[in-house]
Amino acid sequence: MNFEFGRVALVVLFALLPIVGIALGFFVPALRARGPLFVAFFAGIIPILSLYIPRQFLSGETGMRPRLDQWLIIVYGFALLLGIVNVIQNGTRKIARREKGWPYSAVLMTGLFITGGLGIWGAVSGQGITTLPDGSGTPFKWIADHFFLPLQATIFALLAFFMASAAFRAFRARNTEATILLAAGILVMAGRVPLLEFLAAPFPPLQPAAAGASQGLGKLTEWIMQTPNGAAQSGIIIGAALGAASMAIRVILGIERGYLGLGGGE
Amino acid sequence: MAGFVDKLLNLDRRWLFLLVFIGVAVPIILPIGLPVTTTGSTRSAFEYIEALKPGDYVIISFDYGPSSAPENDPMAEGIMRQCFLKRIRVVILALYQLGGLQLASNSIAKVSAEFPNLKYGEDYVNLGYKDGAAAVMKRMGDDIVGAFPADVRGTPLAQIPMMKGLRSLRQVSVVVTVATGLIGEYWITQAHQQSGVPVIVGPTAVGAPKYYAYLNAGQLVGMLGGMKGAAEYEKLLAARYPELGRFYRSTRAFTATKGMDAQTVIHFIIILFILIGNVAFMSRRAAQKKAAAR
Repeated sequence: MNFEFGRVALVVLFALLPIVGIALGFFVPALRARGPLFVAFFAGIIPILSLYIPRQFLSGETGMRPRLDQWLIIVYGFALLLGIVNVIQNGTRKIARREKGWPYSAVLMTGLFITGGLGIWGAVSGQGITTLPDGSGTPFKWIADHFFLPLQATIFALLAFFMASAAFRAFRARNTEATILLAAGILVMAGRVPLLEFLAAPFPPLQPAAAGASQGLGKLTEWIMQTPNGAAQSGIIIGAALGAASMAIRVILGIERGYLGLGGGE
Repeated sequence: MAGFVDKLLNLDRRWLFLLVFIGVAVPIILPIGLPVTTTGSTRSAFEYIEALKPGDYVIISFDYGPSSAPENDPMAEGIMRQCFLKRIRVVILALYQLGGLQLASNSIAKVSAEFPNLKYGEDYVNLGYKDGAAAVMKRMGDDIVGAFPADVRGTPLAQIPMMKGLRSLRQVSVVVTVATGLIGEYWITQAHQQSGVPVIVGPTAVGAPKYYAYLNAGQLVGMLGGMKGAAEYEKLLAARYPELGRFYRSTRAFTATKGMDAQTVIHFIIILFILIGNVAFMSRRAAQKKAAAR
């Protein structure tokens, strides 16, 4: 039999260790948090080590890291399932107790069960959830095309009205910083569209000048987006990445334990 | 004067809503045909795909939902048309949970109908949706079959002719992520940085500013920013391929170029109202200062 160290190590770390941890937790409550801490440590440290230690059992085709990557996709699927269970629990409780807004929960539950049911039926029957071999749509696709897509598009389309109203009421040159922001905002809004050509459309003699000015405005807009905006965005991204890295180190080392439900730093 | 300024500042917002509605509806029903100028980031994306050879692999990832479809659909469909014309093999997938797969299926149905000589499984394939965007990309870096064992119809990838030679992202010429939210960034940080696959991003206009940082750092091949980026791409396509030029001019369907007319009018209305609001605000503040000085 072909002995794969990586596979055995994963079984020990992510199957035996949690089982031992759960069993220990029953007998010694003080040790209840130890198991998840070890699991988090190994789940965090293995992918990092695999980048620096080019060994077959770590980063090879069937090594520990690729297997963990595969598991991650499965865990995501279960996280989705947990979300659905949570929605059902909250929704049914609201309906049963006739809490405020319970009819909305009833609509949500109906939509969830009908759409989810048709999706599961598509998977079980082998039809899938998009189109059938003859080109016609599945019942799930019909619901998506006729309910979900238009509803979501409509909700987002309302933003145009509220953004216009909010810009009129709130975008004011109250101080120097707000004035700079206002000027940059107007320049970018004007430069991203052929605004000058639109304004010059009723006046043909002005059109060549408008086209030239529009090009200049477009270049200015690109400069604003690439230089001041690009620099600020780089700073934000680098800052967020450093924050994420430090948080990851805290979780791997067991300093940050908020995810265990014990409170941060406990 | 003070009464007029107060009236202006307390304008019933329903008047503004009505103007916005007219500003969007009229240019869509009666297109103006305003010119579109191209930017460097869109041109570099276009030229990169243009330089690919027949048989190369391009992944188009539908990482957006119906909320931003008018901006994102024309990008995905424009790039799909370019790839189909050049006989580049297209792998389509969806990593956005709220409708990404449905939009991908609709776009494939629409564009593939324009190219009846192309065959599903030989020229293009739809891998469907998979949850856990970053995790899926990481897995695809090593093993695409590991992330997507079967296509959207349930056919194992091993039985799909065009997928037989494709094992990992390293063999893909470029990933085009048409994205809203974070998934576009994941393609840069998880796929490009770890597998080296070049990435083109097609974000919404709201999401575009953050991608300039990646563009400046050379981590993106190109970018189609919002509806303007999509309209620029349509212009480049029309200029390079006369048949697409005729298609974009003649189609009754919505295109980004038509959308730019509505966007221009809306930008004009918003800028106008911002200016009116500020003039009214300043004149009231000046009047208040004058009154306080008295």
